[in-house]
Amino acid sequence: MPDRSWVFHIDEVTKTYDEGKSFANDGITFQIRPGEVYGLLGPNGAGKSTLVKQVIGLLKPTSGAITLGLHDLVADPDLARQLCSYLPQAQVPIDSFKLHEALTISGQIRGGGKVAVRQRAEELIATLEIEEWRNTLGARLSGGVKRLVGFAMATVWPGLLVILDEPTNDVDPLRRRRLWQQIRRLGAEGTAVLLVTHNVLEAEKSVDRLALIDEGRLVAEGTPSSLKAADRGRLRLQLMLAPGAETPELPALVQDDSRVGNNLVTVIDEAQASDGIAWAQQVMASGVAEEYALGATTLEDAYVRLTGHGSEDLQ
Amino acid sequence: MTTTTALSTVAVKRSGPRHWLETYRAMLRWEVTGMRLLLPLTIVAQMFIGVGMILGMAIFFDEIPPRSALYLSTGAAVVTLVIVGIAVGPQLVAQQKQMGTYDFMWSFPVPRSSSAAAWVTLNVFIALPGMVAALLAALLRFDLDFDVTLAVVPGVALTVVCGTLIGYAFSHAVPRPEVTQGIAQVMIFGVLGFSPINFPPENLPGWLASVHRYLPFESMANVVRAGLTNGIVEDLARSYWVLGIWSLVSAALSAWALGRR
Repeated sequence: MPDRSWVFHIDEVTKTYDEGKSFANDGITFQIRPGEVYGLLGPNGAGKSTLVKQVIGLLKPTSGAITLGLHDLVADPDLARQLCSYLPQAQVPIDSFKLHEALTISGQIRGGGKVAVRQRAEELIATLEIEEWRNTLGARLSGGVKRLVGFAMATVWPGLLVILDEPTNDVDPLRRRRLWQQIRRLGAEGTAVLLVTHNVLEAEKSVDRLALIDEGRLVAEGTPSSLKAADRGRLRLQLMLAPGAETPELPALVQDDSRVGNNLVTVIDEAQASDGIAWAQQVMASGVAEEYALGATTLEDAYVRLTGHGSEDLQ
Repeated sequence: MTTTTALSTVAVKRSGPRHWLETYRAMLRWEVTGMRLLLPLTIVAQMFIGVGMILGMAIFFDEIPPRSALYLSTGAAVVTLVIVGIAVGPQLVAQQKQMGTYDFMWSFPVPRSSSAAAWVTLNVFIALPGMVAALLAALLRFDLDFDVTLAVVPGVALTVVCGTLIGYAFSHAVPRPEVTQGIAQVMIFGVLGFSPINFPPENLPGWLASVHRYLPFESMANVVRAGLTNGIVEDLARSYWVLGIWSLVSAALSAWALGRR
């Protein structure tokens, strides 16, 4: 049975630059338990990468603590790197590695024994369905397959905490599902997973709990359902505007709105659904919108409500 | 042996000489495999530089006096030893920073020193074929008498180690990759054109010759040349001191650069 007696803590972590004038992280606190998949969401420049770099000992917090069980990861960055494995957002530098070599060498670098690492690597290659490229050089792999190899490199001999920065980028839907199964399996084996992502919809389906970070601050934390709780009783009314059209005048029933390109997303009260549809049809009739859709609110709506950022900021 | 310090029930910290050796071997495998596509080209380029310097000079001058030919031949060998460490390595580090893979490399749970040692080891193997090619070309082109002694081993080793550590230090200490690339280019220019490697320091203006007494390049040429020739190198001990100090300072700067957070 994996040991589940520890907790990973980020406690009031602050990182400032320019002698305290600019805050990359401002008093961030959360914890992840063994087996949990924890999402870290936020727009570009929100401070997610800075936080991750502090966890793996590449940056030092200006104040605050990062601990795993009894271990102080800030005081001992070497131990932090032994306990945490990391998949960066950028592609892993494996152009001249054969796929299986990238996995076995990474596993040995992470402290795994030769035989055990080889066995685990073969398992991952089979589960992620990348056998056909087993002996292919990294330079010849597609972006999606390379991403899967990166994931396998980070998890072939995982630490107690696995940090995955946008693991599903470029991965096709079928293998994406396999990838999520593997992430879940890590959890079942007692590993904690910190998933850094822009992809709100994917996070909504895949994480146990999540933190929303904006401008260095944690603006909300909880399960996807708890973050959406405030949106209960509200609906998302989405209008696809005609190219180049001005945003139409919004009636009083619209409680929230954001526009990304030609996509206008509004949030309305459930009780006013028919008034909302009538307004949408009127906008379409005037030629300003080409179509509309009414549906349940998503985590993305909660995100927009909490941070004031539209989804384009997230992509 | 690998020391595992029990810190709690959930994890132990790996450390100790065996852990160092294991991570050194794993990192050496990583570096060698990582250079697989570049390695043949780099080695051939090194050989071309060494051979090219010798044949080029022989074309340029009708007659090269024996002493100058000896300087040139041994100097060309030294240039091939130095250039990988001060130019190729820093270019690769700059590239990692530009492509966003630098942080990933340093997230590996290995001691910084074993990672650096793996890189230095690889450099020795990349540099040696160029040196041998340069010396063979010199033997064929000029009527030379090399006087090879065992002193060539520590001379070559220290030259490669020192050159690699200098490149390692500035490429990791300088945050901006474009500045690293600029420094590497200036270094090549300085080594090839204005360092008393291929010629005696007396050929330089007095002030530049004095500066070179404290820079590593003249000393690199001295320690290698001392193992290949007889009677032209003076004050060898001083050269070893200069290189030893440059190596230590570069190692300390690297340790600082890689340890800062």
